Amino acid sequence: MVEILIEKLTKRYGDLVALDNASLQISSGEVFGLLGPNGAGKSTLLKTLVGILKPTSGTVRVDGYDIVQDPEKAKKIIGYLPENPSLYTGLTTQEFLQFVGKIRGVDDDRLDQEISESLKSFSLEEKRNSLIGSLSKGMKQKVAIIATSLHRPEVLVLDEPLTALDPKTRASVKEWIASQTKRGVTTILSTHDLDVAQTHANRIGIIDRGKIIAIGGIESLRKMANAEIDARLEDVFLRLTAESGEEPSKT
Amino acid sequence: MSTPGTLQTIWVLVRYWVKGRFTKTTLFGLLIGEAFSMIFILFGGSTFLSFSNRVGLGTGLSEVAGSLFLAFYLIGLIQSGFNGSGLPVSSSDVDYVFTSPVPPRVVFAAKVLLNSLTTVLVGFPPIFVLYLRFASFYHTPWSTAVLAGLVTLVFLVIGLLLSADITLSLGSGLGKRRKLWRNLFILLVLVLSLLPVTLLIPGIPAGIADVTRILPNGLAATIGVGLVSGASGTLAYLVDLLLLFVWLGGFLMLGIRLSRGHFYELLEVSAPGVEKIDRATETSRLNPRGKSVWSVVRLKERIMISRTREARALFINALFLSGFLVIYALSGSFQSSPTSFLFILFVIGSFGSGTATRWIEKERLWILKTSAVSMRRYVKEVYRARVAPLLLYLTPVTVAVGVPLILSQLAQPSLLLGIILALPGALEIAAVTMAGGMYFASKYGQSAADDILSSQSQELVDIKRFLFQTTISLIMVSPLMLLVLSSEPLAVFFGSASLLLLAAILLTVSIVFTGLILNFLLNRAGDAVSKREDL
Repeated sequence: MVEILIEKLTKRYGDLVALDNASLQISSGEVFGLLGPNGAGKSTLLKTLVGILKPTSGTVRVDGYDIVQDPEKAKKIIGYLPENPSLYTGLTTQEFLQFVGKIRGVDDDRLDQEISESLKSFSLEEKRNSLIGSLSKGMKQKVAIIATSLHRPEVLVLDEPLTALDPKTRASVKEWIASQTKRGVTTILSTHDLDVAQTHANRIGIIDRGKIIAIGGIESLRKMANAEIDARLEDVFLRLTAESGEEPSKT
Repeated sequence: MSTPGTLQTIWVLVRYWVKGRFTKTTLFGLLIGEAFSMIFILFGGSTFLSFSNRVGLGTGLSEVAGSLFLAFYLIGLIQSGFNGSGLPVSSSDVDYVFTSPVPPRVVFAAKVLLNSLTTVLVGFPPIFVLYLRFASFYHTPWSTAVLAGLVTLVFLVIGLLLSADITLSLGSGLGKRRKLWRNLFILLVLVLSLLPVTLLIPGIPAGIADVTRILPNGLAATIGVGLVSGASGTLAYLVDLLLLFVWLGGFLMLGIRLSRGHFYELLEVSAPGVEKIDRATETSRLNPRGKSVWSVVRLKERIMISRTREARALFINALFLSGFLVIYALSGSFQSSPTSFLFILFVIGSFGSGTATRWIEKERLWILKTSAVSMRRYVKEVYRARVAPLLLYLTPVTVAVGVPLILSQLAQPSLLLGIILALPGALEIAAVTMAGGMYFASKYGQSAADDILSSQSQELVDIKRFLFQTTISLIMVSPLMLLVLSSEPLAVFFGSASLLLLAAILLTVSIVFTGLILNFLLNRAGDAVSKREDL
């Protein structure tokens, strides 16, 4: 398994600093929860990590491969689930998964088997030949999840995987995240759902205004926030992000 | 996990992109579109040939017109290149292709190949038909039409590569001064393409026509027309062909060089229902204090038009059209008969439909339908805001064409009447086609929030809409065109003494007709919005 190393990462859009000198180390097999208010820089961090955006400065290494210098090798081991996955609506479910598998270098025989098994486990077999444009939001999310893991990635980057899903789909997505965790996949999980972060993540990082203001397990975050020993993550989060507006915490 | 080769990856990308893009319905729509464009091109080509034959301007005029026509395409691509759309990508590409191990250069190659294939598929049939018409006119073999078509396709691919190269180069210093470079590029293409048109003015040295051979559009037009007119075969044409391929090779090499590194951020991602906004105009201008609901509606629409670059595109197109028509009119080409003006009138008039076709997608239907405003009135106010810039840009064009026309026809009152009617007629046609465009957009356009229609059924709706819109627009504007056509016999019948009265009556009839038809179309558009349930 692999580790992720982010060092002094800065991303600017003109005058706007979306990421400000962010540093982070995620150990092999760890599930890292990334929390932050809307517009804090979570998605920018994840998009830079998966190679969609180019850092203004700083480095991102996945299993030792620099995402700028050696993007192909780094991308081979990453599986990315976008916040609002945009699927090719003109393709059928099977065609879409074949396409994603192919460009990720999955062997033909293994690809067919992988697609069949995944469709079965997400109860999507009947939709194999349906156009993606005709699927419901929950089904599309399941298809996106299958596409994320078709090449058996060693690193998962999940951007708000549970947003706007019905309870049944949420349950199956949570189950899938747990199964990946069991497999020892290094995971970054960006979410607004603090319960999910608390349940699944080994450590949690809080990002606000482009800066990582706190990192640690729930216990250490409580300490950083000077919160009670049984304080909920929500209270800790609110306290830390309120403080960061005044003076960032040292982590 | 295996690593597929470069060619294999390009093949996979193109194959699945084509699969996703060309469903049976889109192919059906494409066929219908092709049929319409072929009819239009045949009509335009035949009118042009008979006209150039009548005034005895020969192939030179065809080369100039072809070069100008292709310059339009080139300017559009230069603009989209500077807007970051030179290499069109969807949000699905961002999510799945950009995050895959496929190198950027392979993505570039696959995108260029896909765009070239699409251009060939869509562009070749009408281009071939046009050249076939020319070949039949000049009595040259049909194979010259095929060759001329292929040369034009090479030009179209050059345009695509130029646009892609411009986008890829935005990461360098070019990006910081993109406005300046864009305007310089457009000006250069415009000046060089329009320069040969001055040949129509007596006394201009003939050598000026060769200037157009510097640009790919001029080269493609010269070779294409030369082939179908039987003038090719000389060394000069061979050099032209060589130069055209030098442009192709040059832009290809430049693209390969520029696509080595990470360029994904430079690309403008197209997402359904999301309009491109001009960020330079990002200041709050909508102050409702003391204003009526309807003036706020109009102001909001004007702000949206300016921020989504619609107004600018309209202005540039009108500028180009007026430049061409002024020189065309100066050459005395319209003097023969006002009926020959009908085609130009239709071209000016058809400006209206394009700007309105997709307006409903820029609306958020739920806001309108949960408010207490009258939909009929709302649509009319939006129309008022949208038609104003259209008429503002087209009026100088029609005046520029009209003044020399009227001056040249003063001695022939019967022809003068047709011209006087045709000039406001062009603006009326533009206004009517815009209202028609808004009606069809209201009835069939898919709103961004629409989750009911699947992509395929929307495509069917688009085809239906296209067919209806074209037919209905023609029916709606045909009385205006008929009025122009009938003016000459009417003037002869009533005599020159009652010409002023006749002009006033016919003008009133056309204005009243336009007013009634606009009211009808906009009421229908308002009713269509009221009936929509796709909130």
